[in-house]
Amino acid sequence: MSDFEKKRASIAECFGSSADIPKEIFSDEDVYQEELERFFYGAYWHPLAHRAELTELGSFKTTWLAEVPILITRTKEDEIKAFVNSCSHRGALLEQRACGVAEEFECPYHRWLFDNKGSFCGAPGQREFRPDFKREDYGLAPLRVAEHAGLIFVTRDPLAPSLETFLGDAAPSLSDCMLDDGKLELIGYQKVIYQANWKAYIDNDPYHAPLLHAAFKLLDWQGSKGELINTDPYGHMCINYQVKHYEDNGFLNDPSAVEFHGTDDRARVVALRPVTGITKHLDTINIRFARPLGVNETEVHYAFFGHQSDSEDYREHRIRQSSNLLGPSGYISIEDAAIYNRVHATTRDGGMAHFVKGVGKPKEEWTQNDEASNTVWWEHYRQIMRFND
Amino acid sequence: MNEYRENCYKIDDLLATYGYVLDKKEFEGWVSLFAEEAAYNVFSMDNVERGLPLAYMMDDNKKRILDRVKVIEDVWAGTVEPYRTRHTIQRNMVMDLGSGLYEVHSNFVIAYTEASGVAGIIAMGHYEDMVQITGLSALFVSKTAFIDNTPPRYLVYPL
Repeated sequence: MSDFEKKRASIAECFGSSADIPKEIFSDEDVYQEELERFFYGAYWHPLAHRAELTELGSFKTTWLAEVPILITRTKEDEIKAFVNSCSHRGALLEQRACGVAEEFECPYHRWLFDNKGSFCGAPGQREFRPDFKREDYGLAPLRVAEHAGLIFVTRDPLAPSLETFLGDAAPSLSDCMLDDGKLELIGYQKVIYQANWKAYIDNDPYHAPLLHAAFKLLDWQGSKGELINTDPYGHMCINYQVKHYEDNGFLNDPSAVEFHGTDDRARVVALRPVTGITKHLDTINIRFARPLGVNETEVHYAFFGHQSDSEDYREHRIRQSSNLLGPSGYISIEDAAIYNRVHATTRDGGMAHFVKGVGKPKEEWTQNDEASNTVWWEHYRQIMRFND
Repeated sequence: MNEYRENCYKIDDLLATYGYVLDKKEFEGWVSLFAEEAAYNVFSMDNVERGLPLAYMMDDNKKRILDRVKVIEDVWAGTVEPYRTRHTIQRNMVMDLGSGLYEVHSNFVIAYTEASGVAGIIAMGHYEDMVQITGLSALFVSKTAFIDNTPPRYLVYPL
């Protein structure tokens, strides 16, 4: 019996419902390793880039899928490809830049060369290569790629369902976040490491009851009237509402950080499983690319965007608002950040975390502030990890 | 030359006071080191090198600098996890731009200690500042921090 199997049985004993979570699952190393296999390397789609980060033909971005280094390329035929960012020879990290433009990638170790479609192009000393060497066996290891509104998803699992099936009813809200046509312009990144398990991160971001937010007094906003969408079986969660315009209550000397200048007042919050938060709040468009760095840490790259059609003034406003409002040190979202860490801090006490508000009501009656909506994902998690038997 | 040296001392005093008041969490004192019209920004070198304009903190006018203090003291207190800081600031370059205006570059390393006692380096990088010297007073007209690292936790206080 594997270490995980032994743990699984004991965790399953106290994990009797999707509303009562044994905190051990946030801090156990064996559980984490199993999650990597089942969620991160299993039949799930992971948004790892947006086309706005690959602005020209030949662009590339390097990133990580949990502990696997990934190279995403845009070919001259305008196809998006994704590979394991590792030389197929001896495994050196192939490309170390975060982004750039390149039609070919050369490994510095033995000068193996690959094109941006992942094919092996050549290497010195091929005449002495082993007799069974075939160049087609030595391309970069590919991942499946699919796109939605410019957002680029990858999966390592050839049996994963289509992206459309995976997104389900979350697809329209996701399109709204990407302003329908996905023609976004990258403004920049805010990067941070949270001292929290990846599930503690996504369970509390991007949505939770507004009671947390003292900062909402800036906005005089308490939410709760939005449309709530929970998809089956994955438990993607979408909150759709209209922006409430800020009325200056004198709290801020310069209220421009919370003012709405745009015309598209669809505010959206989307949590895609397993670990990506995407938001469109006021005039900010934000994809939170998250990655576990082990059982106790999660690195999040908050990528902010504008739209290619933005006027100079509107772009400037987006930059100023994005910088101060909803990143890891933003006026509002810093309060979320504090909660990830504070939740994770107690995960070794042997106790349980409970969802209470709205639990027991029929799903159709759940409202935006009901934490019952978290339990769809947790039911899915229980089943995939077999904590339900 | 003497005037340049004298102004370098004033600039050094300003840089030292800057770290001192932040480490004591005297945020009104921090505001008082900025001129009437002033800007405070924090950028990552990653963004800067790629020509991306997003900041970690963008207080590009004095009102926003005042708002940052208000948010730290009146909104976040009680929710965020506080930490101690220790700034170490090394002046690298002073350029006299005339009329008492100086461009000043310095490196910084900011250590932090959590309430739990866990400690580390929260940010390292450099400042590029514009300092106005008038008589005995030296004040920041603009102060820009450029961070080299990915912060190991969220930033609460100005760097």
